This record gives sequence, structure tokens and C-alpha cells, in this order.
Amino acid sequence: MTGTALPIAQSPLAEARAGLDRCVHCGFCLPACPTYLALDDENDSPRGRLLLMGALLEGSISPDDATIGRHFDQCLGCRGCESACPSGVPYGELIEATRATLATHRPLPFVARFILSVFAELWLLRPVLAAARVVRASGLARLVARVLPARMGMPFAMLASTARRVAPGYDPATVRLASTDDTHHMDVHRGRAALLTGCVMESLFTDVNRATERTLAVNGWQLCEAGDQVCCGALHAHAGDPETARTLARTNIAAFEQSGADVIVMNSAGCGAMCREYGHLLADDPAWAARANRFGAKVRDVSELLAEAGPRQPASVPGRATTTVTYDAPCHLQHAQRITAPPLRVLAALPSTTLVPLTDSDQCCGSAGIFNLVRPEVAERVLDPKLARIAESGATVVATGNPGCLMQIGGGLVLAGSSVVARHPVELLDMAYARAARAD
Amino acid sequence: MTALATTLERIVGPTHVLARPASLLAYRSDALPGHRVMPALAVMPGTREELIAVMRALAEDGTPYVARGAGTGLSGGALADGVVLLALHRLRRIIQIDPVARTATVEPGVVNATLTRAVAAHRLHYAPDPSSQTACTIGGNIAENAGGPHCLKYGVTLNHVIRATVVLPSGEVVQLDRGDASASASASSAGYDLLGAFVGSEGCFGVVADVTVRLTPDPERVITLLADFMSVRSAANATSRIIAAGIVPAALELMDQATIEAVESSVYAAGYPRDAAAVLLAEVDGAAAGLDDDVRAIEALCLESGARSVRIAHDPAERTRLWLGRKKAFGAMGRVAPHLVVQDAVVPRTALADLLEDIQAIGVKHRLRVCNVFHAGDGNLHPNIPYDADDADESARVHKAMKEIMTRCIDAGGTITGEHGVGLDKLPYMEALFTPDTLDAMCSLRSVFDPTRRSNPGKVVPVRSCREWHATPAARV
Repeated sequence: MTGTALPIAQSPLAEARAGLDRCVHCGFCLPACPTYLALDDENDSPRGRLLLMGALLEGSISPDDATIGRHFDQCLGCRGCESACPSGVPYGELIEATRATLATHRPLPFVARFILSVFAELWLLRPVLAAARVVRASGLARLVARVLPARMGMPFAMLASTARRVAPGYDPATVRLASTDDTHHMDVHRGRAALLTGCVMESLFTDVNRATERTLAVNGWQLCEAGDQVCCGALHAHAGDPETARTLARTNIAAFEQSGADVIVMNSAGCGAMCREYGHLLADDPAWAARANRFGAKVRDVSELLAEAGPRQPASVPGRATTTVTYDAPCHLQHAQRITAPPLRVLAALPSTTLVPLTDSDQCCGSAGIFNLVRPEVAERVLDPKLARIAESGATVVATGNPGCLMQIGGGLVLAGSSVVARHPVELLDMAYARAARAD
Repeated sequence: MTALATTLERIVGPTHVLARPASLLAYRSDALPGHRVMPALAVMPGTREELIAVMRALAEDGTPYVARGAGTGLSGGALADGVVLLALHRLRRIIQIDPVARTATVEPGVVNATLTRAVAAHRLHYAPDPSSQTACTIGGNIAENAGGPHCLKYGVTLNHVIRATVVLPSGEVVQLDRGDASASASASSAGYDLLGAFVGSEGCFGVVADVTVRLTPDPERVITLLADFMSVRSAANATSRIIAAGIVPAALELMDQATIEAVESSVYAAGYPRDAAAVLLAEVDGAAAGLDDDVRAIEALCLESGARSVRIAHDPAERTRLWLGRKKAFGAMGRVAPHLVVQDAVVPRTALADLLEDIQAIGVKHRLRVCNVFHAGDGNLHPNIPYDADDADESARVHKAMKEIMTRCIDAGGTITGEHGVGLDKLPYMEALFTPDTLDAMCSLRSVFDPTRRSNPGKVVPVRSCREWHATPAARV
């Protein structure tokens, strides 16, 4: 991935140049940028980085300049700036093109290279995640997180936060619904859905994947499998390694074509954003471009599918205490996929629940793929205000639909000794369905 | 500069002093990137004590400096040409909110909209609302005496500043006060209103360490209307008629077809009719009683002036959308062409209709597209010309057209800036607007605050027209 240094004029950044011209320098992106707010330097803002990209193209700064490289590395890729930009600067594309350009001039940090190579190879990834599960199950993760200094303890705290009491399954047909008019709910067939099980999701959030399948079934979707699927490639594309991302994308496209699914379901916002962009990623590959576009067009976040069906509201269980829940929007759902209302509709269907607003819920939590592992010091400064806003909200559960965010916020809460837990919206709905089924 | 950099690093810490040219690129311009100059270094104090220490170190060294907030200015006012850039965005503490006296004391780097958000629970807001309010800072607002759509009714920044702690270019800290918070905006304490002179001095008189501003109660009711017209002239006429009828709208904004198109293509699409030649965004607010009469009157005057339709926002979400479209219009111009110039002339409202046609004609003559989005109620024009700076011929035409537009506005009895400031961009027009004696008087006033002319050198008053300046050869730029 660190091939020979490309001349800037032939770099991915040069190809993406038109996007740069859209920036009029208004500065409206500054308050939307978590790293500008945390680091206080315009070089760590979208406007500053766009300017540095322009300077790279002009040749007024060198691609080997380590200080400038750091400003690009420090971008979370949250794309909050895209939601704020009146001119529609395609910042996500530009930062990826910049990273891909710089990757030909200097190697990625060791930690990043290590993590990316693990995620690219199933035979490596499976044992690593299995080991992580063992550490988690032994209770060691929580213990180590408490003993180590905060920054070193964070990965263990993140791991500890993914622990769940295994939820017993239930027969979706037995779920009692709030409305008596909705009794024949299993008769409706909305279509065939195949889940991108994901690498982190299937290993560390196994229950969320099962919850996704069950809740979709309750809401009239028929599940089918895409057996040979692999990592979506998001981590690689964001880090400046589009080639590995393309290889992974081709494998996934073939796998889901085989499945015969009408829709491809995502319960990880990061994977969803990536999969929607397969068409862009493979645009220059004539054998795959059309197939990639068809794949991208079938991608749906689970919250979209559930919201489309209502979602069906589970019957409340008498005497159950009210839970206060708040919602933190994953950047790759809110900014990259522009999905805002559906997760709230899922949460609104929960019985015995008070939904409270979270200030700055559209700001990144600092997870950003593997960012929190590669740049822990920046991730920590971005997370601090998020934890403060969660505490102010008064919620006991913070819901968010992305594994990275679940672990970053969850880990932060563990380290802070907070009793608040981070949960996927689908998990909460699934638990409510389970209670409504058990009560039968 | 190296010894100074070391001194400054000792005060603010090494990460908050930028001295490498590559790290200073991002600080070459504000939101009008047609002007680009390189600072010698940038220093970013994080506390009031650091700010004062930095100012003293600069004074001791005799080094000129330029203060900068969020870099959202539109006149090149915060550009440091080979001198020190003093970035104040880290000073963003809200020191005190007093909901009873309805005041807030803040540091200069607090973002305008952040202040409003912080006091919203008390049903208060900070009234001056420049379109960049989500990003621009209160310190920058004070330097430019910033306006905004709602200044039509509520007044500009000057009317909302009560007290400021100012660090003079000498490093001396002074309090500028205009009486207690309960005093009305126009009442001042004994003596000259030095705070009045300071607000709008474009960073030439010193730097604000903290400022106490007036907070405005949220109106009991707000009604927002959108009228669409088949010609710009009829929209301008409607504006004059609304004001002439004695109605004081909270805001009255005009956007032309080119602007509507840019906004409607953006994430801030507000539902403005794309086929309208112009829309008028009007807002009335205040006590609920009588507000409906104003709405009916505005509606009737628009229709009589030739409006195709008048729509009333029926919920807060629609209101917000209509306003976001207007406020982000400047940023949306990037969809039209890669570069942009924008002017800020103020003209008599009665001349609006004729002037807009003349501006359009000037654009046509130079084969340029002029987009208009402005505070019609104030007669504060913002002609935007999107263009490609890499095209030398087009750039030259833009320059000529802007000059003709400004001359035309001055000839119509107008002035060159309503809220963006003179900065660098409008320096060439100062001599057309003021006599040498007046410019000299401005220099004398500046000398009171900044006798060595180290604060934002080369801005506002052209150096060559300042006779007193020439008499002080020791002054350094």
C-alpha cells in the first residue's frame, strides 16, 4: 500500500480537485469540526485542511511534510462539515484522496498498518477477535481498564463495554403488539433482507446482529444469508488504502448477489456509508462498476427498514419502570448517509421509555473507525465533551447505531465509572419485543 | 522574529505559536480569499492573562499585530501582512450570564450563536445575527460592528455592547463603559462615549479581553413570510412601501434568482420558488396582539407591488428552514464558480429598485453574473460576483465591475460598507467617500488608542491619505 511515490499531478487528490474549487472559504464548517474544537488550530479544521490540499496540489507544501501530514491524519473523517457546507464540498472524498496520495509518500503509522492488515484477512481477524471475546468473558478487560492509566486502559474499557447478558431468543410470531389492530403482523412480507454481519459486529456485538434479525422478522422482513461476505473495507478506504478496500468490495458484491436479497441491511453506520459508496470506489473498474452501483442502491440501515414498517410497537409490560434514553447520532449515519429520523422512530416505539434530547448529538464522539486506537490523545479530547453532554442529559441509556461509537462512548463511560450504558437502538427494541413475547 | 517567537512560546506554550510558513497557510485569508497575505507568525493565547502578556510582549518588541476571531470576515480585515497574527478563538469562556439584568459577559472568541444557545433557556437571545453567526466570534463582531438581518429592528452590535475590557496596543488594560446595564442603548455615562468609538474600529484600537453585552428577550410571537416576485424591481418596491407604511419588520431580506438557485441546490434548500425573479423574506415579531395586522399589511403591500404569492411559515421548523437558506446563501455561491467577491454598500432605500437594475446592467456589460442577497429593509446591498480567479480576463472584468458598482452606490448617496468593514478590500473607496480632513480626523482618533499604529496596520484609512501618519516617521508598519 506504500507503493512508489506518485507525482502530485497524477495523484488521487489531483483527480478529486474539482471538489476543492467549491470551497468559498466561508468558515461555516469550523463549528461542525470536532478536531477544530478540540485542537484550536485552523489547520485541524475542514477549511484549513482544504487549503492545505490546495497547497499540496500547487506544490507550495511537500507531501513529505510531517507536520502537515499530521493535520490530515488527525481528521476523524466524521464528515460533520459536509452537513454544514452550503457549497457541497465533497470533503469525505477529498480527505480519502489526500490520504491515498500521502500513503504513497510515507507509510501509515505502525498501529494503523497492523490493524488494517488484520481486518483485511479473515484468517487473522477471526482469532484476534476470538481472543478479545475470551478476555472480555473472563472479566479481565474491565479489571485491566481500571488498573491501567486512562489512555492505555481505553481499549480494554471499550472491549468491556461490549459485554452483554446473552438475550434468550423469542419467536417473532409470539410478540404481542401495542395495537390490537396489528395482530397479523407476521403475514406481511416486505421482502428479502440480507445482513452485512460485519467483522466487529459479528464478533463483539453478536447479540446486536441477532437482535437485528429478530426485529426485522417481527416487522415483516424475510432474512436470507450472504455466506462469503468479508469486511466492508471502510477502515482501509478511510486510512488511504483504497486498493484493499476495492478487493474487499468485490468479494462482498459477489456474495450478496448470490444471496438473492432485495435489500442489504446494515446495523453499523460506518459499514453502511462505505457500502453505499462501492459504486464510487469501483467507478474505474468496468467489470465491476455497474454491479457496485446496483449493490450500493440496495443498501439500507436497519433503522430505515424498521421505521418504514412503523416499527411495530411492542406491548408494554405492566409495572415496568420507565427508562430514560437519549440518542447520539453516528457521524456515518447522520452526515455520510443523511439518516436522521429513522433511529428516533425506532426509539419512539419503545414502551416505558422517556426519550430525552442530547445536546450536540451531531458531533463526533472520537471513535472514527480505528482513529481512537491510532490517535488516542485526540480521540480522548473529542470524547470528553460527549461524555459531559450525556451526563447532563439525565439518560441512563445512550443509543447509537455504530459499533465504533458504541465502544468509544461505552468505553468512556466504563472508565468514568458511570452507570450509563451505550446500546444499539435495535437492541433496545429487541429487548422490548422479547419482554412482550415472554409475557404471553 | 525568532526571539519574539520564543518569548511568545513561553507565554502560551509551543503548540499555540505557529511560525513555519506551511503551518501559516491556513491563516493567510479570511472569508474573502481574494486577499491573501502571509503572517510572520501566529500566536493563540488561551486565557486573559496570556492575552495581556502577549500584548505586552508585542508592545515591548514594537511589533505590529492583527487580531483574528474565526476568520469569517468579508473585507480582509483580519489579514496580517508579514506581522503577528493574534488569534483569539481560544478565548471562548462565557464568564457570566445574568438573566435578571439580561446581560452576558464573554471572552472575544465566543461564537455568536453559542451565546444565544447558552441563554436560550432563559428565553433570551443575543440580537445581532450576522449570517455567519454559527461560526463568527463576538470579538470579531465588535471589531466590525456587525449587523445581520434582525438589525433592522434591533440595531447593530454597537447597540448591544455595554462594557468592554480592552487591552490597548501598549499592553495597558482599560475599561470602556457606557453606563449600567439597565440604561437604554443610547444612554451613555458621563464623558465621551469611548466604547462607541471602539466598537467598529476594525481592530485598530486594541483587543477586547472581555465584553458585557445586552441580551434580548425572545419575542412572544414571530411570523415569517416569503413573498415571491417576477421582477427584482417589484420586490424592491414592496420593500420601500412596507417601510413607508410605518411597519418595523424584524427583518426584510431580498434574494434574487441566481441566489435562490444556489441555495436550493444546497443542503440548506429552503423551498424558495426556483422560478421567481426575487423573493422577499419578511419577519415580524413582538407582542402577539396586533402582529396579525402587520402580517396582513405586508401581505397586501407585496401583492399590490406585484408579488405572485405570499406564503406564511406555519411552524418553527419551516421558519428555521427559510432562515437557514438565507443565512447560508453566501457559502452556497461556491456552487456557481470557484471564487467570489462580495460587496456591502448601503444605499437609500428609495433608490434600491433603480440601483439593482443598474448593478444588473453593469454585470451584463462585463459579462458577469451578479447574485444579490441582502438586507433590503436597511438598503444594505450585498452584490456577489462568482468567478474563476485563474481566468485573468474574467478577474479583470470582476474588478472593473465592482468598482463601477461601488461608484454608482456612492453617487446615489450611499456608502461603502454596512457591516463588513473597510478592512483591506474597501480601502480604495475611502478617498472617494471622505475628504482628506475627515480621514485625518480618523487618524487622530486612532492615535488616542494606538499612537504607534501597531494595531492592524494598513487597514481602514489608506496610509497615503493620513497626513499625520507621514509626520510620524518613527511609526512602523
